[in-house]
Amino acid sequence: MAENKVLNFTKASKVFFGISLTIFLIGIICNFIFGTQLDIQFSGGSYLSYSYVGELDKNDLDDLIQVNTKMQVTTTVTSDVLSNTSNKSAYTIKVQFAGTKAITTEEQKSLTEALKKAYPDANFKVMESSAIESTMGFKFLMKCLTAVAIASALMVLYVTIRFRRIGGLSAGVMALVALFHDIAMIYFMYVIFQMPIDSNFIAVVLMILGYSLNDTIVIYDRVREERRKLGSKTDIGYVFNYSATKVIKRTICTSITTLIAIGTVLVISIVFNISSVTSFALPMMIGVVSGCYSSICIAGPLWVIWQNHKKKLEKAR
Amino acid sequence: MKRIPKPVFFIVAILILLFSYTAIFGVKYYVGDIEHTVLKGISDIRWGIDIQGGVEATFIPADGRDATDEQLDSAKAIIETRMISSGITDYEIYTDSGTDSIIVRFPWKAGEKDFNAEKAISEISSTAKLTFRPGNSYETTETGANGTPVYKTPTGDTTEVLMDGSVVKKAYASPDPENVDQYVVNLEFDDEGTKLFADITKKYEKQIVSIWMDDEMLSYPTINEQITGGKAQISGNFDVDSATTLANQIQGGALPFTLETKSHGEISPTLGENSLVAMAYAGVIAIILIALFMIVMYRIPGLVAVIALFGQIGLSIAAISRYFTVFNSFTMTLPGIAGIILSIGMGVDANIITAERIKDEFKTGKTLDGAIDRGTKNSLSAIIDGNMTVVIVSIILLLVFGSTNILSFLFGASTTGTIYSFGYTLLMGVISNFIMGVFLSRVMLKSLGGFKPVRRKWLFGGAKKNG
Repeated sequence: MAENKVLNFTKASKVFFGISLTIFLIGIICNFIFGTQLDIQFSGGSYLSYSYVGELDKNDLDDLIQVNTKMQVTTTVTSDVLSNTSNKSAYTIKVQFAGTKAITTEEQKSLTEALKKAYPDANFKVMESSAIESTMGFKFLMKCLTAVAIASALMVLYVTIRFRRIGGLSAGVMALVALFHDIAMIYFMYVIFQMPIDSNFIAVVLMILGYSLNDTIVIYDRVREERRKLGSKTDIGYVFNYSATKVIKRTICTSITTLIAIGTVLVISIVFNISSVTSFALPMMIGVVSGCYSSICIAGPLWVIWQNHKKKLEKAR
Repeated sequence: MKRIPKPVFFIVAILILLFSYTAIFGVKYYVGDIEHTVLKGISDIRWGIDIQGGVEATFIPADGRDATDEQLDSAKAIIETRMISSGITDYEIYTDSGTDSIIVRFPWKAGEKDFNAEKAISEISSTAKLTFRPGNSYETTETGANGTPVYKTPTGDTTEVLMDGSVVKKAYASPDPENVDQYVVNLEFDDEGTKLFADITKKYEKQIVSIWMDDEMLSYPTINEQITGGKAQISGNFDVDSATTLANQIQGGALPFTLETKSHGEISPTLGENSLVAMAYAGVIAIILIALFMIVMYRIPGLVAVIALFGQIGLSIAAISRYFTVFNSFTMTLPGIAGIILSIGMGVDANIITAERIKDEFKTGKTLDGAIDRGTKNSLSAIIDGNMTVVIVSIILLLVFGSTNILSFLFGASTTGTIYSFGYTLLMGVISNFIMGVFLSRVMLKSLGGFKPVRRKWLFGGAKKNG
């Protein structure tokens, strides 16, 4: 009967480790090629974005912007479908200033005025602006990482105490390995897709931290229970595979519901062209997939290897 | 199994739905055109500027000068006065003594379409000018944030400037020695100011000399007698707050540094408005999809999960909209939404774990009552362990990024920001999850287990042929 079939996760663990390591490798290579982009929230710097209507020559526009600013600029123009009117199409132009210096309000004002003067019919309006000094952001990033480290240490402690029957420390450490796996996945997604690390990254990492740990704990809980029922003589690999088979439906269903919610947010944010939400929902979806994968395919098999190794050591003694 | 009476399900379900409805839409009534809010709903949530749009700016003393805490507080008082007088009443302002910076955030007002942010930022940070002027003639009156009149633009005799704030050495509030429960504002002048003030008080004895900041009249005391000692007291109808405010404002006029804009940013109101509409769509669609998925997959336990989901959303919203007035005012940002998504995901998860467990119990041949009983019991430890670790994360975040700031020795003092918002919604969400997803779900499930028309195993996840 299909119901009684036990999926063999430990046997396939080499494949799982291989998949993860391959993605890591691609990530590291990309990291060397592209480097890590820090958002101006952390690195300091400035950008401005304007909305305007009607067709404008991009070269002329670029020249005008460059003449009116002291810093080197790069611009990108995107079409804003939702704001199109019947006879004129709407666009957004993003002006990125090179370097890590913040532009002053006067510089911003003079650029805005120059644009309005040169194109009186285009209805230039500031959509978004951000100018940040470098020293402020970096401190914040370090603080976030410290907070993540403290939270991780406490979580390992909690797991170690609560799951002492199934080798608490090993369970705690492997849960942490799974967490780092997920954080690395999110980080490499940012690197591969060349998205700058911003405060959304921090929020996503924190969310996935909680999500992935919850997944891992649900599995540990089942292992704890099945081990009691099956007796400590039963092979540890079998106990894990048996438990993981029992919870896998739950893990998948929970991931589906979470993905439905975040996927809806993602689709809507793309339709409405809200980049801050898109850059937050996309890595979150990847994190959810990675979180449920790492619990069953990484943390569990690693825990089994550790337990078997311990047993071998005990026998040898 | 201890049976829970049948009506309990309906009572709990109706209470949850009623609560969620009021938490989402609020309870309001109109007398004429004036809106009275009984219970706050989603529309009363204060959205952060990353969602609603608005302006953010950080000011520091110019030229890298090191400011004292009192000086920062005075600068804060000036900025507040200016924002209120330019009609910005909904704002957040923090001082950070570690980096000597003042951070200001304000969202767009509803219906704001064309707002000159650059102008507003340079206006609120320009050097404050405190002046002493004869008489108290003014041109216009506006109503300030708390309903008190604000007098603007000096006219007539009052256009003359007798002296400015730079001669004020110190301004502070203290209890009035003559009247219980009243406060006075004390002024101390430097040598030049002492001389000037002696002349002024001689010339204008028994007359009014008003004190102005920029274009706004702060106070218009009457000179009782000539003051030669360099110390003056303004008495009037002050309580401790109003006296402190005035003292800070006067002291601020004597600010020894100019403010420099260190960073600034804005998100246009149109962009903000789009985001809110988009979020609303996304929320509604996601709830419908999840509800369909849960009911199709798990039938009765799925239905219970959906009711609990509504309850949890209601509680999460209530915790940020000041539905319960005991909670402090809270600004909802994008990471805050991430916190809600995570906690709701965990809430649904709690129900999925339970439903799967009940299914497992049917497979071992349990009766309906037995399966519900064992299923709910066996799933409890996983749910509690999972949620407790998330509680740990959220508490750490609140401690690190909140006002307690336990890492201040490493990173200096700072302000509550977006990450705090995540920790707060997550903690509230997980607490709601314990109430809704764990406790009330179980009550509803067990109550329905005794309800004849639905006492079918397949409705609870058992195989259909056994029903």
